Amino acid sequence: MSGGGGLRSLISAAVTTGVAEAKGRIFGHILNPTGQRSPHKLLRQKLFGEKVAQWYPYDIKKDDPLVMARQEQDRLSKLEMLKRRGKGPPKKGQGRRAVKRSK
Amino acid sequence: MSEKRNIRDHKRRLLAAKYELRRKLYKALCKDPDLPSDMRDKHRYKLSKLPRNSSFARVRNRCISTGRPRSVYEFFRISRIVFRGLASRGPLMGIKKSSW
Repeated sequence: MSGGGGLRSLISAAVTTGVAEAKGRIFGHILNPTGQRSPHKLLRQKLFGEKVAQWYPYDIKKDDPLVMARQEQDRLSKLEMLKRRGKGPPKKGQGRRAVKRSK
Repeated sequence: MSEKRNIRDHKRRLLAAKYELRRKLYKALCKDPDLPSDMRDKHRYKLSKLPRNSSFARVRNRCISTGRPRSVYEFFRISRIVFRGLASRGPLMGIKKSSW
């Protein structure tokens, strides 16, 4: 039965190689059974630079005037609130260190 | 003016996109075992002479509103802190705070 087993293994090996070849032909794969170094793996990847370059949705060099105006408005209103509570920045010469030095 | 680092990163991104094809070709050609070795050396040299900022390894995903480099969600492109504020105020569609 050893001869039959050898034959069977031979046939099965032939079938698997044939199937691999057919699969490669159909799906556009490149057969590399010996595992040689090849550039194909690198070349089949898609280019993604376009997507990477579009990370920032706005023009990065220029500021949106509306957004800047709103930020400035926020800053001013916050300062106004602090001043009303007496927590605003001291005037020149009225700060902690200046008072200490004048004593 | 927006975040300085973001501007730098943007420059890198543009460069990377510009040189992407060239970089890939050089890399592929210097890996190809069918080429003679002096050709492969030449392509390796050329690959090394590309601008360094055109490498994708130098691109960093940054928060588009604050410029934070870490814990930036790729889908929204904003950092976790900005995301939390926006999500709790509600301009992000389909995001709801929950606890369990």
